[in-house]
Amino acid sequence: MTGGQAMGGCMDLGAVAPEMVLAGSALALVPVAGWVRGRWRRLPAAVALLALLVAMGLTAPMLTAPPREAFCGTYAVDPFRGFYQLVIEAGALVSLLALGSHFRGSEQEPHHPVALLMATVGGMGLTAATDLGLIILFLQMVSFPSYLLVLLVRSDGPAQEATLKYFLYGAAALAVMAYGLTFLFGLTGSLNLRAIGAGLAGADRAWVALAFGLVLVGYGFEMTLVPFHVWAPDVFQGGTAPASGFVSVVPKVAAFAGLLRFLLAAMPDGLAAWPTVLALLAAATMTFGNLVALRQASLKRLLAYSSIAQAGYVLMGVAAAGQAPEALPAIGYYLAAYLLMNLSAFAVVAQVERMTGSDALAAIRGLGRRAPGPAAALALALLSLAGVPPLAGFAGKVFLLVAAIEGGFAWLAVVAAANMAVALFYYAAIIAETYFRDPDRAEGPASGAGYAWALGLCTAGTLGLGIAPGLGRGLAQLGATLLR
Amino acid sequence: MLTATILLPLLTGLAVLALPRHRPDLVRRVALGGSVLTLGAALILWAGFDPDDGGLQWRMSLPWIPSLGARYDVGVGGLSLALILLTALLLTVVMVYVLGEHDRAHAHAFLFLLLATGLIGLFAAQDLLLFYLFFEVGLVPMYFIVGIWGGERRRYAALKFFLYTRAGSLAMLLGFLALYLAMEPHTFSLPAIVQARPLDRTPLAGGLVFLALLLGFGVKLPVVPLHNWLPDAHVEAPTEGSVVLAGLQLKMGGYGMLAVLLPTLPDTVARFGWLLVALALASLLYGALAALAQSDMKRLVAYTSVNHMGFVTLGVAVAALAGNEGVRRLALNGAAVQMVSHGFLTGGMFLLVGMLQHRAGTRELARFGGLIGAMPAFSGLFGLLAFGSLGLPGLSGFIAEFQAIGAALQLSAWVAALAVLALVVTTAVYLRLLTGLLMGRAPPDMPALPPLTAAEAGAAGALAALAVGIGVLPAVLVALLDGTTAALAHLP
Repeated sequence: MTGGQAMGGCMDLGAVAPEMVLAGSALALVPVAGWVRGRWRRLPAAVALLALLVAMGLTAPMLTAPPREAFCGTYAVDPFRGFYQLVIEAGALVSLLALGSHFRGSEQEPHHPVALLMATVGGMGLTAATDLGLIILFLQMVSFPSYLLVLLVRSDGPAQEATLKYFLYGAAALAVMAYGLTFLFGLTGSLNLRAIGAGLAGADRAWVALAFGLVLVGYGFEMTLVPFHVWAPDVFQGGTAPASGFVSVVPKVAAFAGLLRFLLAAMPDGLAAWPTVLALLAAATMTFGNLVALRQASLKRLLAYSSIAQAGYVLMGVAAAGQAPEALPAIGYYLAAYLLMNLSAFAVVAQVERMTGSDALAAIRGLGRRAPGPAAALALALLSLAGVPPLAGFAGKVFLLVAAIEGGFAWLAVVAAANMAVALFYYAAIIAETYFRDPDRAEGPASGAGYAWALGLCTAGTLGLGIAPGLGRGLAQLGATLLR
Repeated sequence: MLTATILLPLLTGLAVLALPRHRPDLVRRVALGGSVLTLGAALILWAGFDPDDGGLQWRMSLPWIPSLGARYDVGVGGLSLALILLTALLLTVVMVYVLGEHDRAHAHAFLFLLLATGLIGLFAAQDLLLFYLFFEVGLVPMYFIVGIWGGERRRYAALKFFLYTRAGSLAMLLGFLALYLAMEPHTFSLPAIVQARPLDRTPLAGGLVFLALLLGFGVKLPVVPLHNWLPDAHVEAPTEGSVVLAGLQLKMGGYGMLAVLLPTLPDTVARFGWLLVALALASLLYGALAALAQSDMKRLVAYTSVNHMGFVTLGVAVAALAGNEGVRRLALNGAAVQMVSHGFLTGGMFLLVGMLQHRAGTRELARFGGLIGAMPAFSGLFGLLAFGSLGLPGLSGFIAEFQAIGAALQLSAWVAALAVLALVVTTAVYLRLLTGLLMGRAPPDMPALPPLTAAEAGAAGALAALAVGIGVLPAVLVALLDGTTAALAHLP
């Protein structure tokens, strides 16, 4: 480590103010969560909500801050971090709203905010860490509370099996990654990303490629890249829908931010041919996710494969990130859009599942008549995921396609466009089920203020970002500045 | 004013959604009011339009996505304006026709109004990304309209429609992105791209972009063999959906070919000109012959659309191949007039077939006969529109097909002969329809057919009147279109 300096010399608590607010709240809530009864069970969620809002306020100024290092070069303060932390906080906020409605009145109600906040801190740390030790620490930190979140259910179900699978895959993937990181340390004698980037220039290419391959396993696990995606469908299906929504968004956004920082700082000039490797992985991921999604009858499982495919689209931007200056803002914009539309879809599935006890495609039959609001929100979210204008997913896909062509991956843009055409098939199947069939049950889905707020925020964001992409893209452009 | 015309339907649609749930009658009247206002706005555009000025008028340009250089850039030439007028008119006709329909009226009215905004915006867009946006906004509502209010096999037809058009439009998007990236500095501006024609002289890239755009527009027009979605969508769509689908949405493909494909890649289109001629002849002959084989009247009219749109492809192909500017202009005029004329002729035919189905519960030609006695007003309108569709002189279809075939004759007598052959088959199609439906004796089991209501007669009558009006006074329409076609013909 960059040790040797006096401990006080590089301590800068202001640099981690948002993380401290969230982690402090989470720690304070641990004893509270076990103790509260009755209507006081709502207290932890309220505290978490407040903490997230405060953290967002503390994060926002980083969007325009000049890039610098804190904690002896292990932690970055730059607009890149500010942008991705805001996205992660927003995702946590919306998830918290949906989870709050979902667990209202149950034994689990006070516990989910604790797990959610801890995972959020882990994700936020990952966007900022510039030190191999911290990177692996924060990857664990975003994963472990996510396991717990999946385990929390209102009633017994397949959640325990899902959690176990999630845990085992996560432990193995992160162990492989840690092994890869030791190679990087061995090759360069440093844990700092930028020092590694300078040191790798003269290193043996074969070892660099091996280290990169191993490190990619850890990121690939969090981002659900093929072939490291195997856990995702079972976990998304086993967990409750709002928890699956959180797991489909926050660890993924954090891992993309972390991978970008890693690649741009530690592997400059396309070392180990990472642009080509990632482009091939992107093609495999989007194609596999879309083709398998075609055959799903469980909504959560379908959305799991859809989110695998979506990760493939984003990875297309990452592959071009070294070449095309448009790539970074395109990725930022798309991840923000993905967060909104995916959480919206999961929130509707949560409402349906809560009432009918099922997430089968048939459970939403005729939802357009039973619940026009959620049905419309779901349709908009799915059309946006499919890339239909004027929704956020469309503008995001245009940005990514432009970046891919500019980055020299025109073939990948063609593959992506073909994938978008295929994906429409299963998104349209869900819409057809909600609108083109008459309901076979009378009751509407579960309602709740949390669901309504979550849906409202996501739908407004999906529409707003889509009709006027300039603002979101401008923010993402700010977030393209990072310490290299 | 142009922006107001684009946004009026959308704003009306949003207002309709806010109306109380239990007042479908109010929804219908507000939606009709919005359509009439849109038509009024379109007429104001026309009144302020100078047909002698070949450039864009009513231009408005605002930044939209600055980082991409995409702009909200709208303006109209003659062809755009004619199609905007057609859109506003057919929207109003449809809203009159559905006045009494109360099944989920809010969503129904909203979707049609949203679609109208997409179409008007598309015909006005001068920025390719904006064009793409309006292209999809004009299409996606139809997926819901077919899926929700369609017939027996509506889910299948809606999905097929959506997948076909989406596959085409994604190819088109890639083509647009290639044009965008080929411009230095990068821009989506259509006038700038037409000016620079960046990929026209690079054989490989130009050819690929041509094929991508042809896929996008060809699915929509449709060109055989990309037409497979059309019969299903038309047959399963509710009557008002078929009217808009045939009358307006097919024009998105034709407009794209004339206003985007031809001027951005004229040399490449010429290089592939004979491919286009072959596709046009295939559409003309296949559409006519398939229509001849149908017993379901809606399916029959649907196939005649494939035939009629073949003249648009033919016009574009001849314009690209011909060396003489006069011939090019003739061909383009034929294609442009055909688009407008087909809009109200076929829109009207679908409307009338729908009225029959509404009364009798069937569209089988064999179940009807001798309507001329039972429904005189219906028979008069039907006869008029059918004669217009088969290209009888004095009605609007003739002007279009005469010009297209005349231009084709300059290129090759064989092409013209095959087009005339298709015309003969089409004539047989309509004569079979007319004799079967209106003449002869009614079959004993024919259901009782009450006469047309005032709203029905008004809706179909307006379209028939236009067919006559343009047939008698083609100069009005041709003058409007001439500025655009002259500019297009002059370009290469």
